[in-house]
Amino acid sequence: MVTDIVIGMAGSGGDGIVSAGDSLVSAAAREGFHAVMTKSFGPQIRGGESSCRVRLSTERLHNPGGALDVAVALNWDDFLKFGAELKVDGHTIVVYDSKTGIAPDKLPLVGVMPAEVFSVPLTDLTKSSAGTEKAKTSVVLGLLSGWIGLSREVLLAGLKRKFGKKGEELLAANERAFEAGFTYAAEHPMKKPLLMQQPLTKGMGKLLTDGNDITAAAALFSGCQFFGGYPITPSTEVMQLLGREIWKYGGAMVQAEDEIAGIGMTVGASFAGKKAMTATSGPGMDLKTEVLGLASIAELPLVLLNVMRGGPSTGLPTKPEQSDLFQACFSAHGDVLRPVLAPTCVADSFDVTVEAFNLAEHYQTPVIILSDQEIAQRKETVDPIDASKYTVLERRKPTESELQKYARFAPTETGISPISNPGMQGGAYLASGIEHNELGAPSASGAVHSRMNEKRFRKFATLHQRRDLVRVEGDPEAPLALIAWGSIAGVCREALGKAKAEGLPVKLLVPTLVYPFVEDVWREFLMSVKAGLVVEQSYQGQLYRMMRMFLDVPPGISSFARSGANPFQPVEVLARLKELSFSLQGRVSETQRRDA
Amino acid sequence: MTTLSPNVFKSELKPIWCPGCGDYGVVQALYRALSAIGRPPHEVAFISGIGCSSRIPGYSTAYGFNTVHGRALPVAQGVKMANPDLLVLVAGGDGDGFSIGGGHVPHAIRRNMDLTYLVMDNQVYGLTKGQLSPTSPRGLETVTSVYGSFEQPINPLLTVLSAGAGFVAQGTPADMPGLATLVEEAIRYPGFAFINVQSPCVTYGEDDQQLRAHKTRMKSLDSVGHDPSNFMQALEKSTQYGTELYTGVFYRNPNPPKSYDVLVRERQETLKPAAVPRERMLDMFLQK
Repeated sequence: MVTDIVIGMAGSGGDGIVSAGDSLVSAAAREGFHAVMTKSFGPQIRGGESSCRVRLSTERLHNPGGALDVAVALNWDDFLKFGAELKVDGHTIVVYDSKTGIAPDKLPLVGVMPAEVFSVPLTDLTKSSAGTEKAKTSVVLGLLSGWIGLSREVLLAGLKRKFGKKGEELLAANERAFEAGFTYAAEHPMKKPLLMQQPLTKGMGKLLTDGNDITAAAALFSGCQFFGGYPITPSTEVMQLLGREIWKYGGAMVQAEDEIAGIGMTVGASFAGKKAMTATSGPGMDLKTEVLGLASIAELPLVLLNVMRGGPSTGLPTKPEQSDLFQACFSAHGDVLRPVLAPTCVADSFDVTVEAFNLAEHYQTPVIILSDQEIAQRKETVDPIDASKYTVLERRKPTESELQKYARFAPTETGISPISNPGMQGGAYLASGIEHNELGAPSASGAVHSRMNEKRFRKFATLHQRRDLVRVEGDPEAPLALIAWGSIAGVCREALGKAKAEGLPVKLLVPTLVYPFVEDVWREFLMSVKAGLVVEQSYQGQLYRMMRMFLDVPPGISSFARSGANPFQPVEVLARLKELSFSLQGRVSETQRRDA
Repeated sequence: MTTLSPNVFKSELKPIWCPGCGDYGVVQALYRALSAIGRPPHEVAFISGIGCSSRIPGYSTAYGFNTVHGRALPVAQGVKMANPDLLVLVAGGDGDGFSIGGGHVPHAIRRNMDLTYLVMDNQVYGLTKGQLSPTSPRGLETVTSVYGSFEQPINPLLTVLSAGAGFVAQGTPADMPGLATLVEEAIRYPGFAFINVQSPCVTYGEDDQQLRAHKTRMKSLDSVGHDPSNFMQALEKSTQYGTELYTGVFYRNPNPPKSYDVLVRERQETLKPAAVPRERMLDMFLQK
């Protein structure tokens, strides 16, 4: 019995690979498994290659996993295009269509000898059972159900939901295809069975969603009533869900003519007193930068989600990368500070989005959420979230007496001034991108400018103290450290668990608030560190460089960074940790020798 | 409704426009129009971009938002979506509206929110001291077109008419009361309303574009028998931009469609019963 399994499948656009993955995770979620599914496509809209990885476990999952346990190739050309994303190694069981004409001992996998190879007559099985070639993935589902022991009934019920509406004939064909696969698996058992251990509880009450959808739901939960945006991969699902739901809550979604108009409308809605949001990806961030500065100086709350993809420019629109950190923190002219938050998984996207709205409203500032393509578009089981545990903050409105002699940018002790909105009697003021005094009157005075800059930075004083927005996990005194943010934090969490299991003392720091640094927590964390890795999906290692800018970084800490679309595996992070541990021991014994 | 004097809309900020600038007359016309409409200043949101004319919200007691260059229309639409009860005015210059912000104009028009957009068109960049503008006449010599410009000017009237604007007018501060009436009519039009205000730049403008010249050149559309409900006539008259200085309403859609903000309200009302309590928002992802 196994408790954790990673299945990777690839085929051509029309094969229904991703849809089969959906069926798997949906069935697994109902059965009570924890599941994560990532999809990866070629750049084509229709046709082209497509793939998905499904990871199932009886334990909570933090990432999509490493090398595949089961690899399914409908054809090898498409499969091989996902080299890094569908990694096959010596423990992988490979299943492929014998129609490809490739002999089981001649697989096009360079330098890899899989544990077992099944050349299955997928096309023939499909044709003979379903009477059409189009139900190939239903055969695959049957095979997997048989081999890994994922409930036949639940999978069949899933097929019914999926095909029931499309006519009885199609449904029956797919059911026959499924049974053909199931029977084939029973007749061809694996040498070393991969049967999943059944979870203790069934999946009632589990959520199944992705980062973009849960972010949109979190926005509605937070009271967001306006979204202005422009479609861009991989963030568009946020505006799609809000465009379906936001009206019910008295809000509006506008598909703007461009990215600039999208954030312009968002700033306008915020000025008018509503919680407002926009979402985009790298190229859209470039365009939104000017209006982002306007929101900072006019002290207007807004939430901007950037679902990162590979860059610069058009870059890799469908693949994840963490290379927009510098941009999120620093792309502005003038002196600006704005909070940057990053979720580490789908469930975390809910917390982070609620936090983003709270920070935006409380500090009257734009807040950037840096998600990435993996979290945004990966489907994941989420344990029920108790919404009553979350606080939702509103902006500080002026009191009656403050409205008697209203000063929009009043120099309060906290630097946070009461904010009115059109319609409020006595609260009229001029909001502006031009520097202004406490009353909002434009000013070019150096004295006013430095006073207002000081106010706009002072208001974040309490943000720098938010220790809860940086998570430290593992052994607090460990000399070995991992530092990671966003989706890569999930890889490091798993590496941390593996290290612990091997008796290697390691600790992990994951900033939810990536910028500004909550310096106290970082300083305390770094104090005991002799060696460590900052693991990042960017060529430059942007967080590592920012640490060097703002913190005293111990010399033993190095950057472990690589470009997007080249996923990190928990085992390779562990291997690096071991190397560091060995060299530390070496260093220690050398010191001891010298001392002796 | 109690009547509000025009002075109620005048703020304490002293305009920093050049003496003799056309915009002084525009702001006077606005005070008058708002007084005639009778909504109190705090129910008015006045959004502008960047340029001499974009300073105008600061000179009124309404809620103002002096945004960034070219983006007044998107911001104004966000304001209107957030609170459709507000009277939303948008203002800017010809550069703000038809150069850097030009991409937003047709979309704001086809969206058709109930907004009034005033462009103070002076055919030159004043704030940056005398460069070419998108409405500058061809051949104009400026500091950035030393030997004369090659570009033909944008025709604001034709542009907005062809984009489908339901209310299109032109005025000049040389006839301030007339301009005030136009602004009032534009505000009353239940949809996107556009006024091109020929507002002279006293410092960098051409001689034939000054207030004194306007007084002799301007010709009311009424006086030439124009029918503002006739779209083809409006198009024909608007082609005279740059040669004739027509004032008045070029086009007023006799059957205005429902504006976007009204449609949004209707959709909100229709879908409201489907709302779930906030704590149950995540139920949409539940695996039942």
